[in-house]
Amino acid sequence: MTSKSGLANVIGIAALALFLVGSFVGLFVVPADGMQGDIQRLMYVHVPAAWLAFLSFFVVFLMSVLYLIQRDLRWDRVAQSSAEIGVVFTVLTLALGSMWGKPTWGVWWTWDPRLTTTAIMLAIYVGYLAIRSFADDPDKRARWAAIVGIIGFANVPIVYLSVIWWRTLHQPPSSPRSVSPEILWTLMFNLAAFSVIYVYLMMRRIRLAKLEGELEQRMAYHG
Amino acid sequence: MDRGTTLALVGPNGAGKTTLLKCLATLLQPSDGEGTVCGFDLRKQGDAIRERVGLVTVRGYVYDDLTAEENLRFSARMSGLKLGPDEYRAALARVGLERAADQRVRTFSTGMRKRVVLAQLRIRPLELALLDEPYSGLDTQGMALVDEFVREFREEGTTVIIASHQAGEATRAAEQTLILKDGKLSPMDHDEAARSHLAFHSLGASEV
Amino acid sequence: MDLLRRAWTIVWKDLLIEARTKQAFNAMVFFAALVLFIFSFALGPDTELLQQVSGGLLWVGIAFTGILSLNRTYQSEETSGGIEGLRVYPGDPRAIYLGKLFGNIIILLAVEMVLFPAAAVLFQIQLLPHALELAGVAILGTIGFSIVGTFYAALTVNLRAREVMLPLLLFPALIPMLLGAVNATTLIVVGDPMLDSGIWIRLLVAFDVIFFVISLWIFPIALEE
Repeated sequence: MTSKSGLANVIGIAALALFLVGSFVGLFVVPADGMQGDIQRLMYVHVPAAWLAFLSFFVVFLMSVLYLIQRDLRWDRVAQSSAEIGVVFTVLTLALGSMWGKPTWGVWWTWDPRLTTTAIMLAIYVGYLAIRSFADDPDKRARWAAIVGIIGFANVPIVYLSVIWWRTLHQPPSSPRSVSPEILWTLMFNLAAFSVIYVYLMMRRIRLAKLEGELEQRMAYHG
Repeated sequence: MDRGTTLALVGPNGAGKTTLLKCLATLLQPSDGEGTVCGFDLRKQGDAIRERVGLVTVRGYVYDDLTAEENLRFSARMSGLKLGPDEYRAALARVGLERAADQRVRTFSTGMRKRVVLAQLRIRPLELALLDEPYSGLDTQGMALVDEFVREFREEGTTVIIASHQAGEATRAAEQTLILKDGKLSPMDHDEAARSHLAFHSLGASEV
Repeated sequence: MDLLRRAWTIVWKDLLIEARTKQAFNAMVFFAALVLFIFSFALGPDTELLQQVSGGLLWVGIAFTGILSLNRTYQSEETSGGIEGLRVYPGDPRAIYLGKLFGNIIILLAVEMVLFPAAAVLFQIQLLPHALELAGVAILGTIGFSIVGTFYAALTVNLRAREVMLPLLLFPALIPMLLGAVNATTLIVVGDPMLDSGIWIRLLVAFDVIFFVISLWIFPIALEE
């Protein structure tokens, strides 16, 4: 247990370090976008957050499938942890997207395919966590959550495609402009930093979930 | 348990008799352990078990807004049987409901409702009949009907389990008796139980 | 096939009970008409506006009404011993899903047959010239709604806050179907010079197929005690 905790600490410190470096570079070192100005720097946090939001959800999906096949509560714990962390990243993505949008396009919200899909994904995440609160039996809870997780995730690509169609029929999709290598590298670096943050948070949360599970079991047996 | 025997399962209310019967009917999954019913695994071969097992619950699975005959038809078709109207009438006559066949179950008394449930049970070929408090709500004629059915089951080689909190009733029709109390299943002397006319009363807050 | 026969038996049972008690159908029609009326009232007399949004309003009305039907799907089993009364029979439990699904589709389509004409009056849209295409969209959309709805209804039937959980889970999942149905309906009614409705109809079909397969596959797990 101590060595695991030690490893988590190391990763945590690494995550913090990477994040600080990445932010520093993004905020001060890399030149700002010509057209949008400094607000464009939000991208260095917004894009990794979005990427992680979707990754977290994919992990929820994967763990849900694994749980249904093997019925091992370990997978459920990973799924739950990933969902909670994913919600945080999703809210962050939406908030940053909003903050970016206002000065850039003049609106707090736009029915852009990615933003819309992210918002819907948030709703699905919330549903996933909500249904968990209704079952006291860990197996039942894991089963229901797994079902919601699988169907929810299956919906994400469909929603994304539908909204793309919806928008393209009304206006042409925004095409990514070519980016300078410095911007690209900074983005990649921040992406890596966020991924390490994810790993750290997961390690901590899963361990907590394991303890919660043991407590639940002990309370069930002794009353 | 040996095939073809008739067993009485007695015990206080809340002891878990209904739960046990529902597990055997694959409606509930046991939280722990394995088992086989009619030679089929409880967890993995539930479908084969349901084909051979019939369950009678206290209220019965009966729809108030359908007639007795329609309820029977539903039951039969869901069990994969294809029967004609004459056979449904005959089945209802067997339980004394031929005149009420076209009345909605909502208008029935508890005893009549119970008879519909018994008709549903009898209409299918079974290897195992699970009867949960089959005598409740029935008059003397009705109870005699249940005893008749149990006898017919025995002749056909069908295994029967009768659960009841009235020890005397259940053991009268059965060959063996088991008592379920405080989570433990143990044999009870059959003749003693038959003679005792014991009725178990639920004892305070019994944790199952 | 045995599966279909048993599913059909469940449909027969539910429709027979519904025909005798007339509980759900009447309430649903009344509720749906009320919803459409309120929408039309709230938006005011601007005919062109009403026509533009008619597709959206119509399908929102259908969705709200559909939720009523879904809540009832498994609740109607409550007085007869619960869903155990269906699980006790032999055979693939998916017959329960199919039976409830067909039942929901039939009842919702029946309500829509009143709703579409009501919308025509309230929103000043012409239905008859495109009756066939509209019927097609209505059927595909209703099927999609019912496929996902019947599944989630089974999942939430035993939850305490069922009335909240069902919409919470259902509506995000329905977004593609709503997009498809609303856009196709609006285009058909208002005018479709570039024949875009084809895309939306294809989306509906894809949605229906994908979620039918997934729901059918996972249903036995949702039903486990």
